[in-house]
Amino acid sequence: MGEVLYVIERDVKMFLNHKILLFMRALWFIAQISLFGLIASRMVIVPNYFEYYAAGITITILYSTAVFIGYDIYEEAEHGIVEYLLSLPISRKKLAIGRSIGGGLRSFIYVAPLMGIVLALIGIRNPINFLLAFFSLFLFAFGVAGMSITVAMGVKSADKFDILMGALDALIVRLSTVMYPKAFMEQANPFYSELANFNPLTFASELFRWGAGIEQYLAFSPLLSALVIMFFFSIFTLIGIIFYERRLEGGGWQ
Amino acid sequence: MTAIPYIIERDFKRFFRYKWWLAGMISMNLADLFIMALVYTKMIKFVDYFRFFAPGITVTALFAAAFMIGREVNWEVRRDYYYYLLSLPVKHWELALGRVLSGALRGMVYMFPLLLIDFAFLGIPPLSQTLIILLTLFLLSLGISGLSITIAVSTNNFEKFAVMRGLTYYILFFCSTVFYPLELIKEISAQGVIPPFLAVMAEINPLSNGADLIRSFLLGNPPFNVKLIISIVVFSLPIAFISSFAYAKILRRQK
Repeated sequence: MGEVLYVIERDVKMFLNHKILLFMRALWFIAQISLFGLIASRMVIVPNYFEYYAAGITITILYSTAVFIGYDIYEEAEHGIVEYLLSLPISRKKLAIGRSIGGGLRSFIYVAPLMGIVLALIGIRNPINFLLAFFSLFLFAFGVAGMSITVAMGVKSADKFDILMGALDALIVRLSTVMYPKAFMEQANPFYSELANFNPLTFASELFRWGAGIEQYLAFSPLLSALVIMFFFSIFTLIGIIFYERRLEGGGWQ
Repeated sequence: MTAIPYIIERDFKRFFRYKWWLAGMISMNLADLFIMALVYTKMIKFVDYFRFFAPGITVTALFAAAFMIGREVNWEVRRDYYYYLLSLPVKHWELALGRVLSGALRGMVYMFPLLLIDFAFLGIPPLSQTLIILLTLFLLSLGISGLSITIAVSTNNFEKFAVMRGLTYYILFFCSTVFYPLELIKEISAQGVIPPFLAVMAEINPLSNGADLIRSFLLGNPPFNVKLIISIVVFSLPIAFISSFAYAKILRRQK
């Protein structure tokens, strides 16, 4: 377990070294809530839209920071750091588990204060619900890190990786209930609404809103959302670990 | 003038090498327009949001592509790449002007398909208005490219550059009428929900004026006002001049 902790510690430190990037992401988050969220809430016919939007943006930033681990792994492969990692007295499996946990944990450490700001603005109506949702979001962050590791290890061309991540980032947020209730997605285009049913961001934002007491626009039961997040976490963490471990052997990352 | 087309050609080739950035931006712009704006259209009753937002995303695309040149220029300043540029048989002012122009043209080329989408969905304006839109957007792109280069040459510290660039980006992006009408921003400001200076910034923001100019011709709202063009000229021409001057000065200083 100690070896896994070293891997996690390294990933968290690497993440916190991206000071400018993290500062700019925090600034983006504040601008989204204090400008777009406030003004858009006066434009729409959706009651309590500000609370709805603030909760959704928190999930967006949790997702986008958990995805970072894929970029780190990709850069390590490009810069020849994988060989160094392989030379360490740590088994491949522990290295893979550490990367997956570290990727999710570091995003959670970063997002926690921002989440605190949002909760101070919108409040928590039921602390037990919130704790359950909080735990599920933890799993969500690990699942996203696993997904990102899977993509990073699966795509060998730098161009393809960047293009795939860019397109995924653009679509996954917009085709979810992060920014708008599902009923309006259905009205705009039923296909968008259908796609949102398979989007982990939809279920993560639903759970976070449920935890914070914003239950007006929930499209799924909290139990179903929690189950989907657990499924997402299990599948992608497992695939991420297996994929990473296998690719490490014999220069599969090259 | 003979060297400027070569500089522009070089910068264009570099631009199209950023496949990841282009793919990400194109996906983002199209997703914003055809997913986000369509859903918001159902959530907003006082305006057809898709029609309102389409000119906004066009100007946003222009802004993002023209602003990109600053990243390259700052990289060149930090990595001493300017020695290579100085070794070229190109005058300093040609190099400076070429960089500002290429940034502006890259913005125009990237923006153009989105402008065509505007025309396809909102209607094709008469030729005279189309020319005014294109010319004004080119001026806007020139100003943005110049602003980006000015920021890029103002520091050779990457962290400072990233913060300055990001702050400028967010201020221009969020304090504008790209996403929401000016009347609404003013109304909210008058209610004390947001500070009054944000409404002033949104009004003088060149992105707001660019988006509102397209809206005035394609939607008729806000009504056309020559101030929209004047404010873009007042922003762009001095910035383009200052940035060319600053870039040429940096080249000379570091030689």
